[in-house]
Amino acid sequence: MSTMPHDQLHIDPYEKQWLYMITIALGVFFASLLAGAVIFGVQPADAGGFVNPQKLNETIFAEPGVRHMGGNRYEVVLLAQAWYFNPALITLPEGADVTFYVTSSDITHGFMIEHHNVNFEVVPGHIARAQVKFNRVGEFKILCHEYCGTGHHIMHATIRVEANPEA
Amino acid sequence: MATLQPTFTDIQTERKTIHFPKNLLLEAERYHVGVHLFVAFLALSIGILLGPFQTFRRAPALQWEIPFFSYYYQALTLHGVLNALVFTTFFIMGTSYFVFQRAIGRPLKSITFIWVSFWTMFIGMVLAGYGILSGQANVLYTFYPPMQASWTFYLGLALVIVGSWIGVWHTFITYFEWRADNPGKRLPLAAFAILANFMMWFSASLGVAIEVLTMLLPLSLGIIDTTDPQVARILFWFFGHPLVYFWLIPAYVSWYTMLPKQLGVKLFSDTMGRVAFLTIAIVSIPIGAHHLFADPGVSETSKILHSALTFVVAAPSLLTAFNIAATIERSGRKRGATNMVDWFFKQPWGNPVIAAQFCGMLLFIIGGITGLMNASYNMNVALHNTTWVVGHFHTTLGGAVFLTYIGITFWILPMIRRRQLFQPRLATAMVYLWFIGMLIFGTTMGRAGIEGATRRTDLGGAGAYISDIVGMYMNGAAIAGVILLISSILLYVVLIGTLFFSSKPLDENEVVPVENDTPQNEYIPAIFERWGLWVGVIALSNLIMWGPILIQAINLTSGYWSPGYTNLMKP
Repeated sequence: MSTMPHDQLHIDPYEKQWLYMITIALGVFFASLLAGAVIFGVQPADAGGFVNPQKLNETIFAEPGVRHMGGNRYEVVLLAQAWYFNPALITLPEGADVTFYVTSSDITHGFMIEHHNVNFEVVPGHIARAQVKFNRVGEFKILCHEYCGTGHHIMHATIRVEANPEA
Repeated sequence: MATLQPTFTDIQTERKTIHFPKNLLLEAERYHVGVHLFVAFLALSIGILLGPFQTFRRAPALQWEIPFFSYYYQALTLHGVLNALVFTTFFIMGTSYFVFQRAIGRPLKSITFIWVSFWTMFIGMVLAGYGILSGQANVLYTFYPPMQASWTFYLGLALVIVGSWIGVWHTFITYFEWRADNPGKRLPLAAFAILANFMMWFSASLGVAIEVLTMLLPLSLGIIDTTDPQVARILFWFFGHPLVYFWLIPAYVSWYTMLPKQLGVKLFSDTMGRVAFLTIAIVSIPIGAHHLFADPGVSETSKILHSALTFVVAAPSLLTAFNIAATIERSGRKRGATNMVDWFFKQPWGNPVIAAQFCGMLLFIIGGITGLMNASYNMNVALHNTTWVVGHFHTTLGGAVFLTYIGITFWILPMIRRRQLFQPRLATAMVYLWFIGMLIFGTTMGRAGIEGATRRTDLGGAGAYISDIVGMYMNGAAIAGVILLISSILLYVVLIGTLFFSSKPLDENEVVPVENDTPQNEYIPAIFERWGLWVGVIALSNLIMWGPILIQAINLTSGYWSPGYTNLMKP
């Protein structure tokens, strides 16, 4: 064996290969993440702006509910508070493309819909906005996933997706 | 005749030529290392038992109340604080002192500092513990406002962190003196890793310190009326991700520097070990917003950037996988392995110290892969705050980190007690039961999470929503709970047995000492030890990665609107 040069970092050839493999693998992971975001539109909830949790009656959250925006587009304004979602039952037709606007009037809650790609934190002071399409008929629970006190586990609401008679 | 041992003070006044007794602990070492471990395992004894009873509570087949706790979330808070904050911090400080002193061959500068640090943390633990046990802090160990706990809870946690800072600075002062006395000498890998860990811990815990001191403590004392929950979450997660590496690095120290000696081989690459530790220390902070992917007050751009850098911090762990696997292969070859797979089996699998670390590594393969999935910012949409996350960190913290700490304990406790480990076969059984239990727990919780089970939720409570399939997985998790409960009991049988009932004296020649050697044929760049430079890099990278997030969340005209809530978290 030749003597090792004492002025540069020594990396074993196998370890070097491993380093290249790591770099490629992590690069592929990140590329697929971007592809998922750009091509398939799978993205986390985004910011809908600030809102004062003490003055919600001056905002859209004064009257939570479902609004039909024409076609298959709907808007749901939803208020989370200890320990329920308002409205507690949302009925939508199959294929509805829904934008949720959610905030909290008290402490931090969570929002996720079973078997759908929508999942975010409901932080008081901020409006969370997320878009989701309901392509399956059935009942799905909206669940609070952030611990919010004594009634956290009873904090759930229902989305009923009904078959579209015209389809 | 007892051999005359040097006292700590003798050694400290001498400063230069120090010879620790190779395989035993000095009286002073026994005392301060032992007391740190004692408190760690005292806290764990309660925290660990609360785990299985949560699985029994959530299983539809059982739905038992948790003993002594009428409020599920109080037990959950205690489980998190005792296991993840108290056990880890005391264990890490105690063992880091020990390993650091042995690695550089010099005791820490001052016994007084060690005790000031210890008592600060201890008082903190008592205060926080009082807050939780009195039911005034049912806020879980992430304590997000506007949930408001009693001031004792926040002050207690602050003191635990401040106490650890004293230990961190004490270690750095000792290092700088050692470096001044030993110019040009190679810093052993274990000591290097501990310094890197402490540098990271100090930098990162500034975030949570600011959160506690500017928001939570004043709020609980009535000095301020409102806080900003989003800003608090940002400050918490500035700290929260490096926190998990603060737990992990001591386990890596064991894999890199204890395990090779225990296996009787040399580490594959000392230099690449340093690269890994340094990368973790620097990159683990500017990625923490991957815990905030679901937050409405953090921009998409920041989320993607933090997601990308999170993949970078996977690199040192993948380097570690290579380095440690290569080292273990050497051990297999030494034991007669000849082909590509048999080296894995030709290992001392019956030795509890070694088996604990091996089982920890195997669980970490799952923990690491699930971690990369969590870090993928759009896959997180399906996983965020589900029991999947619980499965993930019970294979990392509850798997790799915990089992390695147990391996370290089975090695260090006989040295402290000067008696052999009590019933090593029970100790080995404990390790394998834990491994199997966590494997089942991680799998069932992970699957339940994909089916939409929310984490931190009293799924056994009246009115809770639990689908049939989630119920099935929760019953499976309860089986894991039984196995983990048996393993926990065995752990304490071995610990208490070693302390009080082990009669066989320790054969000094059989004890594996701390590695303090550095390979002379590897070139280690001097830049690795330029701590000022690395602190600068940490400051700059976080300014870039966290600065915009904070600026966006702290709005001078909006925010800080939320009053504290104390009445929502009562049984």
